[in-house]
Amino acid sequence: MNLTVNGVAHEVESGPLTSLLDVLREELAITSPKAGCEQGGCGACTVLVDGVARRSCLTPVASVQGTEITTVEGLGSPSDLSPLQQAFTHHYAAQCGFCTSGMMLAAQAYIDGGGSDGHEAIQEAIAGHVCRCTGYVKIIDAIAAVARGDEFDLTVTASSAGMVNLGGAV
Amino acid sequence: MKAVGARLPRYDGVAHVTGRTVFVDDVRVPGTLWVKALRSPVHHADITRLDTSAAETMKGVHAVVTWQDVPLLEYGHLSALGIPADEPLLAKDEVRYKGQPIAIVAAEDEETAMAAVAAMKLDLQEKPALFDVRKAFDADAPVVHQWGNWYPHFEAEMDRRQIRKGDIDRAFADADVIVQGVYRPAAIEHVPVETQSCQVVPEANGRLTIYSCTQALYFSLGVVAAHLQVPLNRLKVVGGTVGGGFGGKVDTATETMCCLLAQKSGRPVRWRWTREEEFLCSSTRAPWHMEIADAVTEDGWILGRKMLTLHDSGAYARFSPYGLTKHSFHHTGAYTIPNLHFDGYVVFTNRVPTTAMRGFGVTSVSFATETHVSRIAEVLGVDPWEIRLKNANRIGDTSPNGVAYADPSTVPVVKALADGVGAKLAPNLQAMTPAAREGDLLPEHLVAQIGNPEDH
Repeated sequence: MNLTVNGVAHEVESGPLTSLLDVLREELAITSPKAGCEQGGCGACTVLVDGVARRSCLTPVASVQGTEITTVEGLGSPSDLSPLQQAFTHHYAAQCGFCTSGMMLAAQAYIDGGGSDGHEAIQEAIAGHVCRCTGYVKIIDAIAAVARGDEFDLTVTASSAGMVNLGGAV
Repeated sequence: MKAVGARLPRYDGVAHVTGRTVFVDDVRVPGTLWVKALRSPVHHADITRLDTSAAETMKGVHAVVTWQDVPLLEYGHLSALGIPADEPLLAKDEVRYKGQPIAIVAAEDEETAMAAVAAMKLDLQEKPALFDVRKAFDADAPVVHQWGNWYPHFEAEMDRRQIRKGDIDRAFADADVIVQGVYRPAAIEHVPVETQSCQVVPEANGRLTIYSCTQALYFSLGVVAAHLQVPLNRLKVVGGTVGGGFGGKVDTATETMCCLLAQKSGRPVRWRWTREEEFLCSSTRAPWHMEIADAVTEDGWILGRKMLTLHDSGAYARFSPYGLTKHSFHHTGAYTIPNLHFDGYVVFTNRVPTTAMRGFGVTSVSFATETHVSRIAEVLGVDPWEIRLKNANRIGDTSPNGVAYADPSTVPVVKALADGVGAKLAPNLQAMTPAAREGDLLPEHLVAQIGNPEDH
């Protein structure tokens, strides 16, 4: 079977009923989709299949033969963050980070579909994505910011230097 | 104060949004085996037979581990603090909660590991189970634990946390009203989106590298070393990346068992609990049973408190003695009550062992106390803000365990709450500060309890 993941074509050896999640994580070692529940309940495994947000844990790989799969690695890189990645960074929308990949792909599908910055519409778009750190307010702020077309100054928040020296005794 | 309010970099922020963060289950080592566990299907039983031979000879199975393979079977999370051990790493002759691990297997893939577990033969003699802490003290209650139905090893081998302060009999004799209440917050599962997970790689030099989602790396290091009976320098724990914990990843749930399988098989092993395992077998916040009787005056002073707490520890002690100790020190909440009679027990039941969760021991009593203070206000027909502010902890007041407060925050917090909900405080209440008691705020019953903050 053939899959294109983040623009790279792959020949897949896993059986046809293997979940797309297992193919990505175990065969292709693309580990940003997470196995949070493997029952379609938490949203952490969400990827885009031809631009549509899908639960990869419930998707047999045979059903997505020949499609274009996008994971969060495909949105942008640390040196070239996509608008959504910039917004999640600026608004501190990731806490532990485990739900973040799935959350961002649901958000990307919402933005690509012309979603507005209305909080209720965004809540609807990320319904079924569990953030147990309960960072929903910041997540919704980040998605709304992209829908509005905000620009972000990331010189501090995305500093590649990592932790800054705050000066004095910390 | 250079950090508060400032825009700071998250050291892991960019990695999170680009999918670069490597969580425990994202570590990829060639040749890694999958781990699965045989768990107790019942709440309480004697193990009459365990036969793992069919699993051991199954194609693709590399190691099976039972209690016989564990160098030190029982070790406690608080053993390093002198609290004796009570929990076997793998059940030996008795299972005390549904989901308790009995045997573990490492196999080529997840399906083979599951088949190996299914091939293990387990015979159980089921016994009556105990779920209600209130029944633990009954003469005919099932005996849950090797130490009896409640923890007996507090200092001086006391079987409870006990606080006696002031003159409780006089407080109740002087009271205008006795206000009683029973409070029972339920268990809560932490539900981290990342389930318990672990990988262990046996290194060529004999060390074990442990990739752990623990919140408490040095707990895990000590617990694994003790069970394995190896020096700490034989273990390297890689932690710090936790996909949600909230207290539930303080327990060393997976690391020791993965180490034993890695040692026995000589292969890297990997264990990721299913969501079902996380719900049924991982520890929870404890359920509590709290009975309060307060001796109060008509004008809203709390003279004394009698309190009984039953802390549901589940099948083993883990961190519960520590949680109950915190609870006892805080059992008057944010308020000063000078005369106290408190008894608290860590009660064993046939539930999954309970553990840390965000302020454990204290959240339960905060809930009970705040609800109870509102109930007192309702019974007396007194303004609930007034009761809170009169009885609020102030500088020099002493806690249930005799510590004099140097900087108590009850007064400003209560005032901010009133402001936040738009409640109009009377001028004398609005003028309050945490300053030491004097005048109307130092009635006779509060004089004797005052201490010197500088003594602590």
